[in-house]
Amino acid sequence: MSASTETAPETSSRFGTFALVFGIFFGIFYVICDMAALPMFTYHPGTDRIDFGFAPPRRDEGPAMYWYGWIANSALGASILGFLAALLPEKIRSKIPLALAWVVPVVLLPVLIYSLKFYWRW
Amino acid sequence: MDFVFDYISVNTFWTILFIAHALLAVALLGALTHQAAAVLAPPRAGAAGGFVTHFRSVSGPRYAAAVCVLWVCAFILGGWIYAKYRIYVRIPIEQEGLFKTLGAFELKEHLTTIGLGLLPVYWYLWKNARNTAFGSSRKWLTVVLAAICWYAFLTGHVVNNVRGFGL
Repeated sequence: MSASTETAPETSSRFGTFALVFGIFFGIFYVICDMAALPMFTYHPGTDRIDFGFAPPRRDEGPAMYWYGWIANSALGASILGFLAALLPEKIRSKIPLALAWVVPVVLLPVLIYSLKFYWRW
Repeated sequence: MDFVFDYISVNTFWTILFIAHALLAVALLGALTHQAAAVLAPPRAGAAGGFVTHFRSVSGPRYAAAVCVLWVCAFILGGWIYAKYRIYVRIPIEQEGLFKTLGAFELKEHLTTIGLGLLPVYWYLWKNARNTAFGSSRKWLTVVLAAICWYAFLTGHVVNNVRGFGL
C-alpha cells in the first residue's frame, strides 16, 4: 500500500495529524539538537545544578548532561508544529503521508550513527 | 527521596530502580515482539495451533496501550538512572577505553528517545486498527519500535555486563 493511499480523508483527524507531525518532527528536532548542541538546559549530575541552554562542564563538578535538554527542546518544537498542523484544513492534513511515521526514524538512523563517529574506534 | 535511605542503602535503591527498569523492558520487549510477529506474519486461517502460530496470533490492538505505558515507564526510570550512569558507570568505562560500548549505549539513548516521540502516532494507528488505510504504516511503525526495543534491550544488557551492579 502506497503512502498516498493511506491518507484517505477519514484518516486525518486533528489528533491523528498532531500525533503524526509530532512523531516526525520530534525525531528530526532531536537529531538537530544533538548534532548542533542545542539543549534547552544543561544538567550537572555531580552537583544537581541546572543551567539554561548549553553550558560546558564546570571544573571539579563532573560531567554535564544535555540529553534532558534535547528532549525538552524537541518536545516543545514538535508540539508546536503538531498543533499548527492540526489546525490546517482537512484537505491539507489528509495529504501528509502517514508512512513518514516510520520512514523518518529509519532515515535518521544512519545520521545518528554518523553523529557518534567519535566512539567507533577500531 | 532521602527518607528512603533511612531504610535501604543508596546502592540498594539504585539497584532496585535498575531492576524495575529492566523488568519493564522485558515486558515491553515481549509485547512488541508478539505484536510485530502478528503484523509481519499473521497466522493463516486454519493453520495448525503450534507454538509459532500461537506466538503470532495475538490481538495487536490489545497490546498498544500496554506498549505505550511500558515504554513511558521504562523511559522515565531509565532517564532517572541515566544521571547516575553518567557519573558512576560511563566514566569508568571511558577510563577503560571501551568506546564502542559507550557509542552503542549512546545510540540506545537516541533511539529510545525517538521511539518515545513516535508513541502518540503508534497509539493512534492501533486505536484505529480497523482502518485498513493505516495497515502498512501501522505494521512498519510497530516493526521499527520492536527493532528499537530489541537493540535497547541488548545494549543495556551488554553495558550492565561490562560494569555490573553495586560498583
